[in-house]
Amino acid sequence: MNKKEILKLAKGFRGRAKNCIRIARERVEKALQYSYRDRRNKKRDMRSLWIQRINAGTRQHGVNYGNFMHGLIKENIQLNRKVLSEISMHEPYSFKALVDISRSAFPGNKNVVLPTRKVNVSSINV
Amino acid sequence: MASSATFTTLVLSSSFATQCNISNLHHQSSLFPPPKSPLFSFSKPLSLKLTPSSLLPKAPAFSPIPKSSQSNAAVVDVEPDNVEPEPEFEAVVESEPEPEPEPAQVVEASKEEPKREEIFAVVMIGGRQYIVFPGRYLYTQRLKGANVNDKIVLNKVLLVGTKTTTYIGKPVVTNAAVHAVVEEQGLNPKVVVFKYKKKKNYRRNIGHRQPNTRIRITGITGYQDYPAVTLNS
Repeated sequence: MNKKEILKLAKGFRGRAKNCIRIARERVEKALQYSYRDRRNKKRDMRSLWIQRINAGTRQHGVNYGNFMHGLIKENIQLNRKVLSEISMHEPYSFKALVDISRSAFPGNKNVVLPTRKVNVSSINV
Repeated sequence: MASSATFTTLVLSSSFATQCNISNLHHQSSLFPPPKSPLFSFSKPLSLKLTPSSLLPKAPAFSPIPKSSQSNAAVVDVEPDNVEPEPEFEAVVESEPEPEPEPAQVVEASKEEPKREEIFAVVMIGGRQYIVFPGRYLYTQRLKGANVNDKIVLNKVLLVGTKTTTYIGKPVVTNAAVHAVVEEQGLNPKVVVFKYKKKKNYRRNIGHRQPNTRIRITGITGYQDYPAVTLNS
């Protein structure tokens, strides 16, 4: 890569790393290494985010993530976590149907406590 | 998730504050208490980094609300939508907030595109699953042997949802088909693959463009006879 391409990739860097080629070259190489590594990490992070969202969605209905996924596997429903997290956010009635199917397939949730409804302090008119 | 929602609501509040002259500061501060999901769903197009879901790159026919807040008129339209759910919220906190944005978004759609069917499907293409709406486009892995303007039928439909019923496939909804048209066979934006080992004089610089196909979904059919889960309310 020649100097012009390096300095173009170095836009937004701090201090001399965006202007001076010797420093910019090092920082750009590091940035490209990070992007290589993070393209692989992004897949892991996204899956973890989806699992958190599905967990939150199912716990609103009294089922935790582990039992929910076990029930789906028993029923041979092959929706992946990405789609399940999107459904839990935007299609609440479809998600409730999925939770009910999973609960009937694997009723293992004796100890899960439904979250108590907390009243917002600022909304109370005194 | 709460922190990211508050971050996006702060971004929204700054854009509202600069745009709208109505600025009743008291009124605005009451609009953005702890995260409400109508605002979260409106601010979803802003927070592009949160999910690389296939929903985001599609060109929706109805414009998302933050982008339309360029004029004061649009902001005035948005304000009543945000105000209306608010008194209901104060009465019952944290009750189902999701149904609230659905009427607002259905109203937006009916103003601009009266003939859109309220249906979605989850379809598996190229080993990946996508949530699909009629009329929108989608980028998938390159489909070999498909030319531009070919009609395509996708058979691996895992879930179909309408306004009142959901058809959940185990694993596939039998006889359901999603019809699509191939629009374009292109390449993804370039990704630079740079490999480097320190102190060993090893450097490889490779550019890569993955081939993709853009398809536009025309319709979802064939799901009617499958056992369904119907909504009570």
